[in-house]
Amino acid sequence: MRWLKRYRMETLLLAPLVIYILGLTVVPVLRAIVMGFQKKGTEEWTLDNYRYLFSRPEFSDAFWNTLIITVVGLSLQIAIGLIVALSLKHITKGKGIFRTLTMIPMGVPTLVSGVTMIYIFATSGYLNELLYDLKLSEVPIDWAAGGFSTLMMIVVADMWKVMPIVVLLLLAGLESISDDVYEAAKVDGATPWQTFWRITLPLLRPSITMALILRAIDAFRIFELPLVLAGRNTPVLSTYAYTEYGTYNNPYTSGAASTILLLMIVAFIFLYMFVVERKGGDVQ
Amino acid sequence: MRGRWLAYLVLVIFTFVMIVPVYIMVKVSLSAPQDVMTQHPPYWIENFTWEHWSRMFESGNLWEPLRKSLTVATLTTLLGVVAAAPASYVISRMGRKWKYTFVLGLLFTRMFPDVGIALPIAVNFIKWNLVDTDLGLILAHLIPNLPFLAWILVGTFETIPRDLEQAAYIDGASRLEALRKVVFPLAAPGIAVGALFVWLNSWNEFTYALYLTVSERTLPLQTYYFINRGDWFQSASYSVLITIPVVIITFFLQRYLKAGYLSGAVKG
Repeated sequence: MRWLKRYRMETLLLAPLVIYILGLTVVPVLRAIVMGFQKKGTEEWTLDNYRYLFSRPEFSDAFWNTLIITVVGLSLQIAIGLIVALSLKHITKGKGIFRTLTMIPMGVPTLVSGVTMIYIFATSGYLNELLYDLKLSEVPIDWAAGGFSTLMMIVVADMWKVMPIVVLLLLAGLESISDDVYEAAKVDGATPWQTFWRITLPLLRPSITMALILRAIDAFRIFELPLVLAGRNTPVLSTYAYTEYGTYNNPYTSGAASTILLLMIVAFIFLYMFVVERKGGDVQ
Repeated sequence: MRGRWLAYLVLVIFTFVMIVPVYIMVKVSLSAPQDVMTQHPPYWIENFTWEHWSRMFESGNLWEPLRKSLTVATLTTLLGVVAAAPASYVISRMGRKWKYTFVLGLLFTRMFPDVGIALPIAVNFIKWNLVDTDLGLILAHLIPNLPFLAWILVGTFETIPRDLEQAAYIDGASRLEALRKVVFPLAAPGIAVGALFVWLNSWNEFTYALYLTVSERTLPLQTYYFINRGDWFQSASYSVLITIPVVIITFFLQRYLKAGYLSGAVKG
């Protein structure tokens, strides 16, 4: 009580935020987890929702699709992001213009980027037209027909939207590496390739880790783009959870599906922090 | 020398790829159907038309969603600042251990999948008659935005030296006066930037709006409605309309788009 008296103002100022986050984020998340273990109607404890999910082929599709989109998407984003960030660091003139122009997709709302990608990836869309004009493909390809091409379509759509952020995060990391290190490497006669692998990459690791984790969380939760681009044919975990609630009116299985998605995100972060990061730490 | 040339080549290609989709969106919204609904659509606008835009303005589908989007985004921003700014100030003045705990806690909330939060919220809001209301949507939009705003503002308040507050106390100011007259005015630019980001996030928001709407749509939902109907032209003009304020504000916010803000701003 004495503590409360001493920090009365702090507590008062902090209260709205803390109460809001507890009441409208933490409690709902716990509620969704609990719902996943309850029976529709009677609310008694059960594992039926999970049995139902694992018996549905759409659910295991959604699970694997989410995983593939995340893994393929992240690898491409980091690789291309690195190439672009290195290029930006390498040039002297026109840096500002390139940064401004490439930032535009960041302003475009996610749903709108989905709309644009429909025009590009539709059977009579602009990608097929480009392939036709380049004489690469005579027959229009149906990118949304399902399978790997549809997943790649979602990956590309997501990449278009988030590449500016990835590039900026990596560029900030690159710019924080002191020029002295590069000077020293030059004096020692290191080739550009050696400099990249031995100096740039290891020193950039914190930035890469941050970009990877932030992007992974969003990639797992990806919602608008698969909903708009692929609909129910190619579900991911978010859209699957939405369909269970919105279309089949079954909040309990939707809660179970959301719980599995949350578990995937937590598992990824733990794996990354404790396996990849620690192992890399030993090498250094 | 060759390296630099290669860097420019990479950047030109990358920039091109990033800009083309925006062009295509605008193009579809300004092209006559024979330029788009064909096996081989031309790359340029060959038959220019305002028809899709005038249809959007005249159909009566636009004004109510526009009002709702504007109201919700603006009130979300105001409420967000009122709740997050004082709390962020307190967090920024905490000891290292506590500050770390709070900031990590804020980041942690971003790990939760939106569909998992929106589900129980929607179930409750149906009971409380908050579905389709502005208030319900504002409460929902604060869920992702409050932690995000607090996260930005903790950084802002940290840059304001404690000495200034101490000086105000010595001059006889009370704690609240010191806050009101010294700390908050200095933090105002940071608060403004954070507020604009929140406004944009709410203006663009889709998932919560989808869960909490039966009939009264926001602009993104109205766009989604036209996508589902397969109406390319209306979805294009609505998309361009939503994007215009976003691009303008993003352009002005550019210099604040540093890595620190960004890591909080990354939205799915």
